[in-house]
Amino acid sequence: MVRGDDDNARFANVVLPHLKDAYALARWITGNRADAEDVVQDACLRAFRAIRSFANGSARAWVLTIVRNTAYTWIGKNRPAALVAVEDIEAVEIARAIPGDPNAETPETALIAQTDVARLEAAISGLPIPFRETLILRDVQGLDYREIAEVTGVPIGTVMSRLARGRSRLIATIGRKES
Amino acid sequence: MAADPALAAECERVEALQRLVRERLPREAPPPGLLARIEASVELPRPRAQPSWRALAASIAVTAVLASGSTWLALAPEMTDPVRDGVVAAHIRSLMAPHPIDVASSDRHTVKPWFNGRVAEAPRVVDLAKEEFPLVGGRLDVIGQTPVPTLVYRHRQHLISLMAVPASDRANSAPVLRMVGGYNMLRWTEDGVFYWAISDIGTADLDKFVQLFRTSSPDQ
Repeated sequence: MVRGDDDNARFANVVLPHLKDAYALARWITGNRADAEDVVQDACLRAFRAIRSFANGSARAWVLTIVRNTAYTWIGKNRPAALVAVEDIEAVEIARAIPGDPNAETPETALIAQTDVARLEAAISGLPIPFRETLILRDVQGLDYREIAEVTGVPIGTVMSRLARGRSRLIATIGRKES
Repeated sequence: MAADPALAAECERVEALQRLVRERLPREAPPPGLLARIEASVELPRPRAQPSWRALAASIAVTAVLASGSTWLALAPEMTDPVRDGVVAAHIRSLMAPHPIDVASSDRHTVKPWFNGRVAEAPRVVDLAKEEFPLVGGRLDVIGQTPVPTLVYRHRQHLISLMAVPASDRANSAPVLRMVGGYNMLRWTEDGVFYWAISDIGTADLDKFVQLFRTSSPDQ
C-alpha cells in the first residue's frame, strides 16, 4: 500500500504534467483523436508499470518515448500498411538522396507566412510518419536534437536530416498551387 | 551564407515555416475525460466494483431516512478513498486546464452567488487576501457523480483547491492531514460540510490556510 502510494505520487509528478504533449504527439502520429486517446491511455499504463525504472533526466522525453513506441505498436497492429509504406518512402528517398522534388516551385517567404491553418495541418498530416514526428517534436514541442534522438531512437544526424527533409517537403506542399 | 542567395532564401523559407508552425498551428488540449480515465486505469488493485460515490450517496440517503449517524461511521473507512481520489483528480485536472476556475473573481459576493442554482448549497466563502491567501475564484468539480463547489485560493504562486462536499449527517471533526500524489490535503467536517483543502504548498502553510478559513467570518 505504501509502495503503491509512492508509485501513484511518482506517476502524478513524472507523467501527468506531460499529458498535453503526450496527447499532441499521439494525435499527430496516429492522425486522429480517438486513436490518440487510446494510445495515450495505453502509454500511461505502460509508464505507470515502469515508473520505478525512471531515474533522472527529462521526464518529458521519457514519457514521449513511451507514447511514441505505443503509437507505433498501435499502428503496426491496426494499420500495418502505413508503416511499411513509410519505410519504403524513406528508403527510396535515402537511396536517391533527393530531398523532396527538385523541380517543384519554391514558394516565396510571404506565401508561407500567409498559409492558412487548415492547409498547414493537411500538409503536416501528409508527411510520412518519421518526418512528421520529428517536425512535431522539434517545432511544436520544442525538444532539442538530443532529446528527439532519444525519443525516436535514431542518431542525431538522422534527426537533423529528417527535420530538414520534412520541412522542405512541407514548403513544397504549401507552395504547390491549390487544385 | 549571405554570399549564397539561394541558401539564404532557403533559410528564410524554413524560418517562415517554423514561425507558422509555432504560432499558428492549434495546440489541442486532451479531451476532458482523458485524465480521469487514465487515473482510473492506473489505480492500484483494490476492490473496484463501483462502491464509490454512488454507494456513498445512497448511504447518505439511507442515513437521512434512518436519522442515524452511525451508518456513516461504520462505512467511512472504505469510503473515504474514492472521494479523496476524486478530490485529487479534480485538483490535478484544474491545474492542467487552461483555466483552473469557472468564475474568476476575488470578490466573495461574486463567487458565492455564482454557485446558486449550480449546486444544492453554495459554500461559505471568505476572503483571506490580507492574510496572503487571496480568493481567485470558484469552479464546479464532479466527485463521483456529484457536482461539488470548489473555491480556489492562491498562496504566492500556488493554488489551493477547497472542495465543500455537503454531508449533513457527518459530525464535526478536526482537520486530518494526508499526502496523496505529491499533494498535501487537509480534510475536516464543519456544520454539515465535508471540506477538502488540497495544494502543493507545504503542510504548515496549508494548515495556516485552513485555520484562517475556519476562523474568519464571511461577514467581516
